[in-house]
Order: sequence, then structure tokens, then C-alpha cells
Amino acid sequence: MSAVVDTHGHGHDHGHEHHDHHGGYSGVMRWITTTNHKDIGTLYLWFAGIMFFAGGMMALVIRAELFEPGLQLVNPDFFNQMTTMHGLIMIFGAIMPAFVGFANWQIPMMIGAPDMAFARLNNWSFWLLPFAATLLMLSFFTPGGAPGTGWTLYAPLTVQQGIGMDFTIFAVHILGMSSILGSINIITTILNMRAPGMTLMKMPMFCWTWLITAYLLVAVMPVLAGAVTMTLTDRHFGTTFFNAAGGGDPVLYQHIFWFFGHPEVYVIALPAFGVISQVIPAFSRKPLFGYASMVYATAAIAILSFIVWAHHMYTVGMPVTGQLFFMYATTLIAVPTGVKVFNWVSTMWKGSLSFETPMLFAIGFLFLFTLGGFTGLVLSLVPIDIQLQDTYYVVAHFHYVMVAGAMFSAFAGIYFWLPKWTGKMYNETLGQWHFWLTLIFFNMIFFVQHFLGMAGMPRRIPDYPLMFETWNKISSIGAFGFAVSQLLFLYNLFTTLKSGAQAPQMPWEGADSLDWTHLPTPVPYHTWETPPVLK
Amino acid sequence: MSRNARTALVLATVALAFFLGIIAKFWLMGR
Repeated sequence: MSAVVDTHGHGHDHGHEHHDHHGGYSGVMRWITTTNHKDIGTLYLWFAGIMFFAGGMMALVIRAELFEPGLQLVNPDFFNQMTTMHGLIMIFGAIMPAFVGFANWQIPMMIGAPDMAFARLNNWSFWLLPFAATLLMLSFFTPGGAPGTGWTLYAPLTVQQGIGMDFTIFAVHILGMSSILGSINIITTILNMRAPGMTLMKMPMFCWTWLITAYLLVAVMPVLAGAVTMTLTDRHFGTTFFNAAGGGDPVLYQHIFWFFGHPEVYVIALPAFGVISQVIPAFSRKPLFGYASMVYATAAIAILSFIVWAHHMYTVGMPVTGQLFFMYATTLIAVPTGVKVFNWVSTMWKGSLSFETPMLFAIGFLFLFTLGGFTGLVLSLVPIDIQLQDTYYVVAHFHYVMVAGAMFSAFAGIYFWLPKWTGKMYNETLGQWHFWLTLIFFNMIFFVQHFLGMAGMPRRIPDYPLMFETWNKISSIGAFGFAVSQLLFLYNLFTTLKSGAQAPQMPWEGADSLDWTHLPTPVPYHTWETPPVLK
Repeated sequence: MSRNARTALVLATVALAFFLGIIAKFWLMGR
């Protein structure tokens, strides 16, 4: 929802009338010491990009091994390490930091704040990440290697792993601390630093989705930290929280983990919804349909996410009443999610649509995320889930949510905001090629995995019976095609930054948030030093 | 104390309470 800036007051367009220096340092020291939200947003995005390619390489190892039956390239132990680290790196290193990067760049500009509430804390929140990522990577070089437990770090396997597990536990602690500090910063910024007249219900949807996400993070990241701390004390200090031999319960770990883990899905999905809610109206040249219902639907999804965790554990042995409760609660999430999908489609309805790259990724998101949501609904049903638990159907489902959901949304956001941030236009033809190739290869990898799952192929195995060979071959070829397609994105990004054509002031005529309408392109280093006054 | 600091303090307290609370629940009160 847009707000009108009072151009008669003192608040008009203060974006470019102040000094534009980059602080007291230059070169590397500028980036280490920066407290500027735009710099820190850039750091988050580059970090996420590097992690995305690291996690992607691990995915290629997995898919190369699964190209045909038998053991070809890696031993089963290393294969397990690959699946574990791929998950951890993609979730904590790539997707989450990417959206925190968007938040850092956009939230202050969208609400008329000069920076984040705690600028130095913001710097620290980011610089914790490289240390955590280094710890995670170092675990490969420890005796026994990285953990091979799967990203969920289930007990009792975690208690039996080598020292790499301790590296991972401390990495999760640091990543969690970074997320919590970042979330506190975002909540404080949005609650306390909005420009006069920028009421909560006038904020762009992206800010709303991040406000709710940040609350989720403050509530659930400490729970994950608690779970891995208990794992650590079980490993080294004689406790038996999760060790059945000492009276503990491995299933307890699963409950605690998924109390974090399911809201975590929405920690990833909600900011993605926020980006899509900015992009679709801009390219439909219409305001977002049902703004208030979008806000309430986002809040409803967040609240419901706290009472559905055990749908990940139907097969551990729980009472039927428990299964029924979690099944009904989970299916309930389809209602607010359906509201959102309905509103996005209704925004496009009778809009003056154009299909530049950000919009293509948004529409791709709409189709494929909805498909991922639908298979989630299938998996929420106890009798079906008991058949499909730990099969490739689950792998296909969550990659539709994580890749076609979060990653497509991140690409939409990068193509959408890049002109604003850099003042350069990306190559539209290359962008469209990137979208179509990504779309085709994504489905080549993951659509066929539904068939594998329904045929009974279990996840996290390096070998499989001959009957699964064809779909696995197709999936693996798709994975390498997907990787090559991302090189197209990298090429487009670097050539844009180096020699891209100058972006017009308003490259997207339908964009209506403050950053587009009242700040110059490229956006200056310091913005809103005097807050705008909004009617 | 500034309004920002108060907000942050409340949120940090909630986070710390969740972290310590989940461990304390299963450590002190049994399972």
C-alpha cells in the first residue's frame, strides 16, 4: 500500500541532498566496519550468493552419485555429509541471509527511516556469519568428517558423530545468534523508526512479512539453540536428554527440533511472500489486492506454524488423537495461504500486465510454490504421509517450497531492485533466458522426484535399485542444467555491475513504495536523514 | 533508556527465556 508524501512540508526527497561519502574507511575496511544498512544488505546478499554456490556444488555431488545405481563417486559416509551440509548451508547460509539482505536494503527505505535501529549491531549480526560458515566447512577436515545426520541433526546419531558435530553445533549457535540479533533490529526499526504518518497498515507488504518473520525468529531460534546445546551436553557432559541408555528420549529431540523447524519454513517463506507482494502489483500496475487480508493471512500463517510441528513425525508412534490434531491444524494453514494466492492472482486480474524478468520469476513462484503447497497438503494427511515419509516425494515437496518458492522469489527481488540499488539495468534478454532455463531444469530435477517417492525410493541414500534409474538420470541431468543456468545469472549480474546501461529513474512504472517514488535512482548512500512526512 | 533500547531489551529477554526455558524444562523438571 502506498503512502502520499507531504511535499509542502520538510519531508520531501531528502535522499540526495546530503553528503554521499562511505564512512571513514575505504577498501576492505569499509566493508568490515560499515554500519550502513545498504552496505550490510549488500554483504548479506554476496554472502548468500557464495553459500548458494557452495551448497549447489554439494547438490551436484549428490546428483552425480545418483546418476546411476551403485556407488560411483563418493562413499556412503561422505554422501550423508553432503546431504547434511547441503541442507544446512542452503537454509542457514543462503536463503535466510539473502532475505535478510533484502530486509537491510529495503525496510529503512520503505518506511522512511535513515538506517536500522542498531547500526553497529547490524554490522555484528552480519560478520558473525562468515565465522559460522567457516566452522561448518572446517567440520569436513575433522576426524570423521562433517556430520552425516541430515540437516535435522537427529539424536541419537548426533551423539555418536565425531568432532565435526561440535563444530556444527557451535556454527548453529552463531548462526542463531546472528538471526536473533538481526530480528531484534528489524522489529525495533519497524516499530519505532517509521516516518511520521507511515502507520503500520500503510507499510509495504514486504515490511509486514519481515516484521512477522522477525517475531517468529525471536521465538524459535532460541529453541533450536537449546536443542543443539542439549545435544552438546549429551555428547560431552554426561547428560542424557536424548540418550535412551540413560533414560532420555531421542523422540524428544524431534519434538523440540520441529517446534523450531516448522516455523522456520515460514521464516523462509514469509519474506519470499513479501517480495512477491511487491513485484506482482508493480508489473500489474495495480495496488495489491486485499492488502489488509494479506496482513492478517501472514499473521495467521505465523501463529498456526507453532501448532503443526509433529506433522513431520507421524511415524514415530503417537496417539491417533495426536495425529488427528496435527493433521487438522496443518490443513488449516491452507486457508490463509490460499488467501494469499487468491490475492496475488486477483492483483493480476484485469491488470496492465508486462512480463519482465522479475514478473516472470514471480509468476513462476506463484505456479510452483502453489504446487509445493499442494503436495504439502498431501503430506499433511496421516494415512498418506505414513506411506511417503522419508521418500523422494518429501524431497520434491520441500524443494518446490524452498527453490521454486524462496529462490525464485529471491531472483525476482534481485532483478526488481537491482536498478534501484546500482543505477544499472540488467540485460533483459539474458534475464528471461535465466528464468526459462531455471524453470525447465528445476522441474526436470524435482517433478520427477514425486514419481520416485511414490514408487518408494527413500531419501538420503547413495544407491538404489535399478527400477529407479530412469527418473534419477533425468533428475541428475536437470541438476547440471540448473547449475549451468545459474552461471547465466552470474554473467548477467557481473556485466550489469561492470558495464550495465544506466537505469531510468522509474524502470518499473507500477512500483509505488517510497524507495521508488521518492528516492533517486541509484539510491544515495544515505537516505531519509530527515524523515518524510506522510499524509 | 531510549525507546529502541527498551524494545530490544524486551525482545532479547524473550529470546533468552526461550533458550534457557527449553533446557531448564527438560533438565530440572524431568521429561
